[in-house]
Amino acid sequence: MARFLVSRLAQSLLLLVLVSVIGFGVLHLAPGGPMAQFALVPGMSQAQLAEIAHAMGLDQPLPLQYWQWFSRLLVGDWGHSYRDAQPVLAVIAARLPATLELMGAAIALAVLTGVTVGVLGAVRRDSAFDVLSTAGAMVALSIPTFWFGLVTIYVFSVKLGWLPAGSRATVGDASLWGYVHHLIAPACVLALVEVAVWSRYMRSAMLDVIDQDFVRTARAKGLPERRVVLHHVLRNAWLPMITLAGLELPTLLGGALVTETVFTWPGMGRLFLDSLGYRDYPVVMGILMVSALLVLIGSLMADLVGAVVDPRVRLD
Amino acid sequence: MTDAPLAPPRRLAALLSRRPAAGRARSGALHRFLRHRLAVAGLAAIALMLLACWLGPLLIPYDQLFIDIRHRFAGPFAGPHVFGTDQLGRDLLVRLLMAGRISLTIGFAAMALSTAVGTAIGLVAGYRGGLVGAALMRCVDAVLCFPSVFLLLALAAFIRPNVVTITLIIAATGWMEVARVVQGQIRTLKARDFTLAAELMGASGFYVMTNELLRNAVGPIIVAATLTVARAILAEAYVSFLGYGIQAPVASWGNMLNNAQQYLGSAPWLAIFPGLMITVAVASFNFVGDGLRDALDARVEL
Amino acid sequence: MSQDHDEALPSARTQGPSRRRLLALGASAGALAFAGPLAGWVPGALAATPPTKPKGQAVIGLSQEPTVFQPLKLHIEVDEAVYMNLFGTLWRSNPDGSFAPDLAAEIPSVENGGISADGLAWRVKLRPDVKWHDGTPFTAEDVKYNLALLVDPKFLSGRRAGHDLLRDVTVVSPTEITWRMERPYAPYPAILSWTWFGPKHILEKEADINKPAFAQNPVGTGPFRWGERVPGDHITLKAYEGYHGPGPFLETLVIKYVPDLTVLYTQFQTGDIDYIGLQGITPDHYDEAKTLKGQVVQPVPKATIENLALNTGLPVFKDRAVREALYLAVDKKSIIEQLYYGLPVPTESYLPMQSWAFNPDLPAQSYDPEKAKATLDAAGWAPGPDGIRVKDGVRLEFTNSTTAGNHLREQAQQLLQQNWLEIGARMTISNLPPAVMWGDYWMLSKFESAMVGIDFMVGPDPDATDYFSSHAIAAKGGGGQNTTQFDSPEADALLKDGAATVDRAQRKAAYLKLQALTRRELPYLPLFQYAMVQGVKAGLEGYVPNINTQENCWNAGEWYWA
Repeated sequence: MARFLVSRLAQSLLLLVLVSVIGFGVLHLAPGGPMAQFALVPGMSQAQLAEIAHAMGLDQPLPLQYWQWFSRLLVGDWGHSYRDAQPVLAVIAARLPATLELMGAAIALAVLTGVTVGVLGAVRRDSAFDVLSTAGAMVALSIPTFWFGLVTIYVFSVKLGWLPAGSRATVGDASLWGYVHHLIAPACVLALVEVAVWSRYMRSAMLDVIDQDFVRTARAKGLPERRVVLHHVLRNAWLPMITLAGLELPTLLGGALVTETVFTWPGMGRLFLDSLGYRDYPVVMGILMVSALLVLIGSLMADLVGAVVDPRVRLD
Repeated sequence: MTDAPLAPPRRLAALLSRRPAAGRARSGALHRFLRHRLAVAGLAAIALMLLACWLGPLLIPYDQLFIDIRHRFAGPFAGPHVFGTDQLGRDLLVRLLMAGRISLTIGFAAMALSTAVGTAIGLVAGYRGGLVGAALMRCVDAVLCFPSVFLLLALAAFIRPNVVTITLIIAATGWMEVARVVQGQIRTLKARDFTLAAELMGASGFYVMTNELLRNAVGPIIVAATLTVARAILAEAYVSFLGYGIQAPVASWGNMLNNAQQYLGSAPWLAIFPGLMITVAVASFNFVGDGLRDALDARVEL
Repeated sequence: MSQDHDEALPSARTQGPSRRRLLALGASAGALAFAGPLAGWVPGALAATPPTKPKGQAVIGLSQEPTVFQPLKLHIEVDEAVYMNLFGTLWRSNPDGSFAPDLAAEIPSVENGGISADGLAWRVKLRPDVKWHDGTPFTAEDVKYNLALLVDPKFLSGRRAGHDLLRDVTVVSPTEITWRMERPYAPYPAILSWTWFGPKHILEKEADINKPAFAQNPVGTGPFRWGERVPGDHITLKAYEGYHGPGPFLETLVIKYVPDLTVLYTQFQTGDIDYIGLQGITPDHYDEAKTLKGQVVQPVPKATIENLALNTGLPVFKDRAVREALYLAVDKKSIIEQLYYGLPVPTESYLPMQSWAFNPDLPAQSYDPEKAKATLDAAGWAPGPDGIRVKDGVRLEFTNSTTAGNHLREQAQQLLQQNWLEIGARMTISNLPPAVMWGDYWMLSKFESAMVGIDFMVGPDPDATDYFSSHAIAAKGGGGQNTTQFDSPEADALLKDGAATVDRAQRKAAYLKLQALTRRELPYLPLFQYAMVQGVKAGLEGYVPNINTQENCWNAGEWYWA
């Protein structure tokens, strides 16, 4: 177990380095650059632009730039944003809670709904409900998230006026309801795909268990079906679900970016998009690293939990 | 290009990894597929869409590029334009169909590319194993660490958007899943008797890889490829929505949506039709993929 | 990046002008200038009177996010929305182009002895009663520190041009400062009108002036002091009761960032946002917005001119006949009336019509494809087998670029594509993300043609040396924005004449000729002068549009709820 942990951690670190090389290369080699935003400042001259590029270290060879960035990262210095000169970690930390709030709400919603639908589908296998929910899940996986968001805004904000059209809160309204009110639409939109995933997984995990011996025994003992499902089947079907939660993290992060864009949610995804637009390399790199870190932690947790609950999984 | 809808192949990988018998017992596959009603419906929908997109525009008396500024925002199902007109007075139906050509082409081309690349890498990694295999799979893992939206956007900065370049970047973010599926398959198959038998009979590594292993992994590859088309169509829509897509005046479903956003209040049909087309197309491919999975994978019959 | 974000336009139609609209537009439709100095534009002249104590809150919605809060540092246009309310300048521009003292006690002029007759020696008197938000008195030392910091080579300064002409900056007394100019430079007062000052006593203690801790909690002399910032969402400013000018009348000013124009409009509709600044309401929503109850919507002219920039360094655009023919083939009327809902005003000049130097007598363009074809025929551009014209092996074929995602421009581009194909010119659309478009691609003239909105003025000053002087071609080593590579000795001479004197009549004569020259030579095909559709919740009084500022929340200190 300890050996497994050490080797997984070493692998993860290696992966992070790889991620940083790929990310850095892709970003810096792409056309355009952070100077463009300043080029249009009235009175700006080429000479002054060159000075600014020099001050930012942008005139150095790329490998050297990477090395400087990386060596500073090793001592915990993530650099400063090109836009507002604030430390990258502070910039990201200011945005992360909004993203986590959105993702948390979406996961809670997705797990609750998805598990219910999945369990019901598995228990009433091949019923109309099962067929419909399976088809529904597939369609949900096929709807472009942003389009669903737009339609939601159109229906619930523009036409019906029930929900706000975006933002995390109305300025000056610090009530809990104010926050929840703003959270409903984006959380539902982000949850849509996850509901589909969770219900399908839950259904197949349940089906894997439902015909196993101990379940048959429980039934044979004359336990009520409800009790069999809740106590025997569901408890055992949970195991693969925990791994899923870890593996779904990148999906959720990507979904959050799009949802944040549509609902002008002030989270990390929105920050990524803005920073990419301004070619604010330090911030973009920071977000890439943070999300890669989250993803790695997610999959590590998934493996660990998987190993703990299922001794048949060999950790090597 | 949210990861969300792009994820099916990854989930597929997880599913398949628990089913080592996949790829075997293809007898009766067609029968099983045909029993899958949603899959058949999906296949029919895809066929219909292909037919409509490639023949439809020939039958409609409007040019997709002709701007008629005095007749902008004509509503649908009234007047000569069946689906109405867009913000420049162009016929929406013919644009939808022409856009379908672009979006479906991108979908298929990206699928072909990423399947080819993913299969090659997965095959080598799975068969060779060892350091080469580990190195290849770590690269796959590293790329998978980026939520694919992030990666897609970063890559989009490189290109002047057109059909070829958009296809390339979508393929560049879609091969990893296939590689994983194939690598997993090959690793299981490699341990089987027939591989050993072939090797004992003196077959070369390349022969074993292509003739024995690949042939036996074809089922999951087909399934993954089908789901990759769905993913690519969605990815195109996401790239366009975030402003890095196909350039006007050429239409794709994605960029039609991008332009329609601001008219959501006054001309909602501009957003609704392309969105529906995407959903139907993607769902159809997903249904077919699902059906194929059931048909090609014996253990699905629990 | 004002250029790619300006979505809005001025109005030739003022339906049932209210008093406010009269104020806004200078009394008449298509007003050529604000009708004289608007002496009465202070809030007191409006219907209701402001409260005696700061009261209430106003939310300004912006589609970009202000992020730089050290006002001397390199920043972009949107950051100034905060500066205008948090910091002070020596003087600011009135809507009529005159200056009103802010930190200065009076506007220096030749008449009051502030500027010597040759324009070289300056003496600025400061108000004695100004205090920074932390209570420290504002003095001439602050001014000296700021002027020096702007040209400090170690500092990432927001603007050097102009300030680098200053010599011998001397503090005479806490309320008086003098300097000498290297050479006379007429636009300098205008530049000072948007040079916001930071406190010396805080800034000089910064460990790294380029990574200022100051930006976390900025201190200024403006009508509002710093409240809090929620990154990615909003900034809250609080009334500064020790403000030296009139106001502030609002207790809280919130600057909210809503990145999507459609969502911004929706939030304005629902009342979450009291005022839409920067780009305003998109023309697509103008008709609908007019019917809103409880909101006042009006088009306000901006100084930005929408142009088709032609890179005259390329063989295809070298020929004036080509530029002329392309201009003749532009269906300007359809663009303005259909795509922009008739909001912008067609123009032939690079200056806004409100400028004192505007030339109203330029020949008006008319859409005439036949004449365009004849012009090309006469110049030797003959149609090839595919219909595209060719001359000496050069095909009349080029790309047109603008910022990707600007929907109205994209529509106009597609219309132009059709217009130009009609006369045998093939244009391909090649739009780019801002970070690519406005980088070397634009600055070093790597584009072929571009659709771009430019404010050619230096604030209220009509000097356009940066855009038309042959010394401002960055692609040829110059330091400016002459990206069309317009190279004309005549223009150079006129620009020099215009900037070297403070005599307005003399300057105007030079600029009138320059406008005629650019209209004839057409390095830019002028399309229209923008107007922003401004939206304000009913009851919010005191705001006044100001064409000389980038941000319309320039006087939020004087806003109040009726």
